[in-house]
Amino acid sequence: MDKSHRGEVAIVGIGEVPSGVYPDRPCLQSALESARDAIKDSGLPHDEIDVVIPAGTFYDPWYNTNMIFSQLVEELGLTGKAKMNLQVVAGGASSSAMMETAAGLVVTGKARAVLCVHAEKWGSMPNQEMYDKLATFGISPEWEAPYGLNMNAVAALITQRYAFETGTTTEQLASVCVALRKWAELNPNAMYQKPLTLEDVLRSKLVTSPLHAFECNRLADGGSAFVVTSAERAKSLDTVPVYLLGSGSVVTHYAISQETDMSRFGYTQAADEAFEAAGLGPEDIDIAEIYDSYPVFNLIALEQIGFCKRGEAGQFVMEGHTWPGGSLPMTTNGGMLSQGHTGTGGGIAVLVEAARQLMGKGGKRQVEGARFCVETATGGTYMDAHVSVFGREVP
Amino acid sequence: MSGYKKPLPEVTPWSQPFWSAAKEHRLVFQHCPSCELNILYPKLFCPNCYSSDLQWMDASGRGEVYTFSVIHLHPPSPFRDSLPYVVAIVQLDEGVQLMTNIVRCAPEDVKCGMSVVAEFDDVTDDFTLVNFRPAAM
Ligand SMILES: [Zn+2]
Repeated sequence: MDKSHRGEVAIVGIGEVPSGVYPDRPCLQSALESARDAIKDSGLPHDEIDVVIPAGTFYDPWYNTNMIFSQLVEELGLTGKAKMNLQVVAGGASSSAMMETAAGLVVTGKARAVLCVHAEKWGSMPNQEMYDKLATFGISPEWEAPYGLNMNAVAALITQRYAFETGTTTEQLASVCVALRKWAELNPNAMYQKPLTLEDVLRSKLVTSPLHAFECNRLADGGSAFVVTSAERAKSLDTVPVYLLGSGSVVTHYAISQETDMSRFGYTQAADEAFEAAGLGPEDIDIAEIYDSYPVFNLIALEQIGFCKRGEAGQFVMEGHTWPGGSLPMTTNGGMLSQGHTGTGGGIAVLVEAARQLMGKGGKRQVEGARFCVETATGGTYMDAHVSVFGREVP
Repeated sequence: MSGYKKPLPEVTPWSQPFWSAAKEHRLVFQHCPSCELNILYPKLFCPNCYSSDLQWMDASGRGEVYTFSVIHLHPPSPFRDSLPYVVAIVQLDEGVQLMTNIVRCAPEDVKCGMSVVAEFDDVTDDFTLVNFRPAAM
């Protein structure tokens, strides 16, 4: 969203179910409860939702086609009222893609209120089935699969190159997991809430060098949702609107083997665009809700968005600056490394957390006085970089 | 060689010349004469100028490791008997990149920036995969 539309749309409601392994909780239940709670949270009459956007779900193709074919519209009592049900999916970047789509529909008057919702059941899937699935997502069947590539290895290739170029240490990378866990300890929806030490991370098994087990995200069942409407409509609601102030993004590759700048990707370009639209800079930001999935992405984003100098993010995190009480709270739900990775929903949970914090609904992990927040997303084999700036006021 | 259980490349009509060359133990890439772009993996048309008039050229087979990882745990099913193995992205001297395995080298000896040369693995009667080994051996 560029600056001509700064602050014209807002997130007005959020919903989420706990992440973890819930084999007896149908995926549809996670989606419906998240959706219902987001609508209730917004204070909008449910029949004012006129566009429903379900994100893509990967555990079951049939469930996913139900989402494409308007099951949520029917279950939520919106038949005859919703103008459109459309799936928006950009893998892990679906959060930003949904938000941008919703914002575009709202500012053009095509939609009054848009419900974005996602649910996944990755946590209940058999392990080897998931290892095999994750060897296909964003991985070329012709040029990469024959060599045994999988998602952990994609992140490992990136981590290796980033560490080689910046001199970031094993301990500094591992410290991201510790920082995220500090937040998850305060998050009742997180899959992992027990304390985690640097030693725990470094002593865990080497899965795919240089990544240890605790540096690989944990697959989870979960669901989350948010409601987007116009700033004008938000005024008459009894909620704290979270305004979209600016956003930017760029796609840098499909196949990871074609990426030529693995220690930076497109975050600087995306952030420049987002900050320009918002009329703000990194120094104005109170919280960095960064898409993690593996530790290296927090470090790359911190540096390329301008919170840290090149090669200094590892030390910054290691020193605790992103912990609760630190100068730059980061990924305050614990991220996919601690709240759990719900597929497409991992990033949506990060976006929902951004809204939650700015609404002041963060509970024990609330960042007091937070006004402006940066949120990032990336999908597939880190094929794109999305940066958005949200605020509880329009500067 | 019919016992090969790992995934084989899903070939497209326009990439067939690459695999035919690999069978002859040649590593090839596409060159676009109209804009001078070197292209790998093969494309239906030049992504820069959209010319369909692409030439196949022999690569030197030399390059360096851009990045790598040693897979120890949780690989795709067909690779469970191959642990540990090294996946790597190699930048060829011709300026293009590809995914590969590094072979004939202890996994702990692989480094970013290491010089490597192509070698060919005839995995089935129909397919030859392109691996890389250290240039200095
Ligand atoms: Zn060309």
